[in-house]
Amino acid sequence: MTPEKEKRHPFVTRLTRERVQESIMFVLLRGMTFFVLFCAAFLFWDIISKGSSKVFEGDGLINWEFLTEHPQTLHVIGEGEDEIKLSSSNYYKLKDEKVLNKWGDFRKSSEYGSARKELDTRISRLQNEWAMESLLVADEKFLVRERENAANKFAFWKEMLADPKTTAEDFEIKVEDVPSMVTQFMLGHFEKERGRLSLVDEKVTLFRATHYPKIENLSPAHAEEVEKAYLAFLAKIPEAYNQSMAAFGAEVTTSYDEFVQTEGPKEFGRFAEALVAYSAARNVLLGQDHDLKNWEALEASLAPFKQAMAVSLPSRDYAYSGGGIFPAIIGTLLLVIGAMGIAIVLGVFCAIFLAEYGKAGKFLSMVRLAILNLAGVPSIIFGLFGFGLFVIFLDWNVSLLAGWFTLAFMVLPIVITASEEALRSIPQGFRESSLALGATKWTMIKTSVLPFAMPGILTSSILGVARAAGETAPIMFTAAYAKRSDLPWEGLEHWTDFFFQGVMALPYHIYVVSAKIPQNAYTADMQYGTAFVFLLLVVGVASLSIILRNRLRKKYRW
Amino acid sequence: MQEAITTSPERSPSTDEVDPIDPAIRIRDLDFLYGSNQVIHNVSLDIFPKEVMAFIGPSGCGKSTLLRCLNRMNDLVDGARIGKGSIEIHGVDVHDKSVDVIELRKKVGMVFQKSNPFPKSIYQNVAYGLQIQGVKSKRVVDQKVEESLRKAALWEEVKDRLNENAYGLSGGQQQRLCIARTLAVEPEIILMDEPCSALDPVATGRVEELILELKHEYTIVVVTHNMQQAGRISDRTAFFYLGKLIECDRTKKIFLNPSKQQTEDYISGKFG
Repeated sequence: MTPEKEKRHPFVTRLTRERVQESIMFVLLRGMTFFVLFCAAFLFWDIISKGSSKVFEGDGLINWEFLTEHPQTLHVIGEGEDEIKLSSSNYYKLKDEKVLNKWGDFRKSSEYGSARKELDTRISRLQNEWAMESLLVADEKFLVRERENAANKFAFWKEMLADPKTTAEDFEIKVEDVPSMVTQFMLGHFEKERGRLSLVDEKVTLFRATHYPKIENLSPAHAEEVEKAYLAFLAKIPEAYNQSMAAFGAEVTTSYDEFVQTEGPKEFGRFAEALVAYSAARNVLLGQDHDLKNWEALEASLAPFKQAMAVSLPSRDYAYSGGGIFPAIIGTLLLVIGAMGIAIVLGVFCAIFLAEYGKAGKFLSMVRLAILNLAGVPSIIFGLFGFGLFVIFLDWNVSLLAGWFTLAFMVLPIVITASEEALRSIPQGFRESSLALGATKWTMIKTSVLPFAMPGILTSSILGVARAAGETAPIMFTAAYAKRSDLPWEGLEHWTDFFFQGVMALPYHIYVVSAKIPQNAYTADMQYGTAFVFLLLVVGVASLSIILRNRLRKKYRW
Repeated sequence: MQEAITTSPERSPSTDEVDPIDPAIRIRDLDFLYGSNQVIHNVSLDIFPKEVMAFIGPSGCGKSTLLRCLNRMNDLVDGARIGKGSIEIHGVDVHDKSVDVIELRKKVGMVFQKSNPFPKSIYQNVAYGLQIQGVKSKRVVDQKVEESLRKAALWEEVKDRLNENAYGLSGGQQQRLCIARTLAVEPEIILMDEPCSALDPVATGRVEELILELKHEYTIVVVTHNMQQAGRISDRTAFFYLGKLIECDRTKKIFLNPSKQQTEDYISGKFG
């Protein structure tokens, strides 16, 4: 016997196979649990740290712009430390401010007086000119030219139609192709004239509608008809010309008067635009061959003002990276509330039938199997189902209603299963007592089962809320818009339109900013910010349901 | 055995001797099945007005099932059905198609083994039966609630906390609340399915006192496992074994001088 052996007592620790296994398993179990914990912690930390930097960015505590604005283009001015990030609305506000400042300086300078004097002279001279110019005469000139032009062209085309053989030889084509060639010529002519003519008369569209079919099926008789109609049409034009030019002229005069009164940059801008429009219309209608000297002088006199308005604010622009996500928050809330409303009503009715009325048998097990399978269907399939049934077949288009029903069907299995469970967990005694007191079955359910099952049903709906709020696939075909400038309650013609409009939604917005637009440092901010707000929203809605559930639980405890 | 059962009413002629009036409940040749499992075999029994009838017997002998047949609570169980025979209350077969089970249950109230007040206030529990009948008048309901609680000997204990949750009451109080709840519907017959099995002896005593009090106004059928209880509260006792009615007689006779060996064995504790 060795001394070591002597020391041994019956309970000495021995390294048996089981013991080793036990130690390894313990390490494994603990390690895996910690790994899961670590991953979850990392995920939340990632979203919260990066997302909160967007949500709590800026001067105040909370970046209200992010929560209350529409998505906008982000304008980044400057580099590095001095970098300023501005959403479109703020960028243009800043620009306007700068213009106003520069304009103010310009007005104070001596230059302004002389520039104004010059402009006034030019304008009054031109106003005289266009009063004198007698548009009717000019139009008459134009019309004669136009008529001659049209008559020439029609004569040429009719000649081609009358003698296709020669034409075919001239153009080296087949004889039977001649009519279609003339058609092409004719259509080309009208298309070229269309812009000019529609400037003064919307009947151009009517002319096209009535006569193009004839041109496309061209015969000499048709050509004759079209020519007649076209010349008649041209004959009615002068009056329309005059009205049109008078309107352009009036706009110049009123906008100039406004500018004189306020002397602001905006008013000047409007005046300059009106002038450009007038000049362009005049060029189109009268041709280029009138006297341009006065126009050029006028344009030169505008230059100092334009100079005073020109402010450059160089920026790098990133689509979707500025502004906020307010419409998406609203859209998600609407989607969740509506979908859960529908799902809870449908689900609870279904669960009541299954738990209280359904008799165990083939039918019930079939229903259960269907529900179970429904729970396993991928969400994209629900999206396609909703798209096919609600969007296409029922013709609801991309709308809140279609999204509601699609999401409701997706969470329905959760709601039904859990509601049934909740109903079954109500002690049988409540049902029996109620019936023994002379209640009908429905009275029994209404008064002594459903109220007590409500906490359980709400618990299940919490799970549903998170899922309905979070899924992208079911709504991307049925309810979500990538960008919508109206909020859901804006621009409704009738209250029912509310249900038939698409909305923005947070998960889809995350998808759009992370997969649908060019990526850069600024879109990442937007993604994480949206994800963070989204998490907060889900937590908020879920807490509401939990509070409600606990209240009910306290009220109905047994 | 079959012969013995069919002749059992004649074997106990005392029933007719003691109460020569019309029975409140008349059970004749009743077979009852759960699916294909027959749990009651050819039972015939009369229960007379304003008496306390106790059903005793070992577990699974069908006494609870028979009790639940009386107000058709077995309708809730899938596959439960009458094989043959009838149960008449006031001369009407309760399983007849023309019988409105709602009206039947109002006349034949039931108190369950486990006290199961609704998780609502004491007041709402008692008022429940009236409210589902559509009684709106607060005055009528108030009056009825007080009356029922007084009858159930609970009024003095709860009158100051009518609006508190019924689950704040002790087990015995809860059971008496359930009795009060049943009384509020104005039944004629009250069925009690082991009403004291979950109560301590003191609470049991209170409920037993209550039963003795109530029998002046109501016909009461009690199922019990506790033979001393049957002896204390019942006028007559029916002993069931394996779904058959073995013997039914005045309680004293059953306990002191049973006419069947099985009854004597059960009462003396040889089995069951």
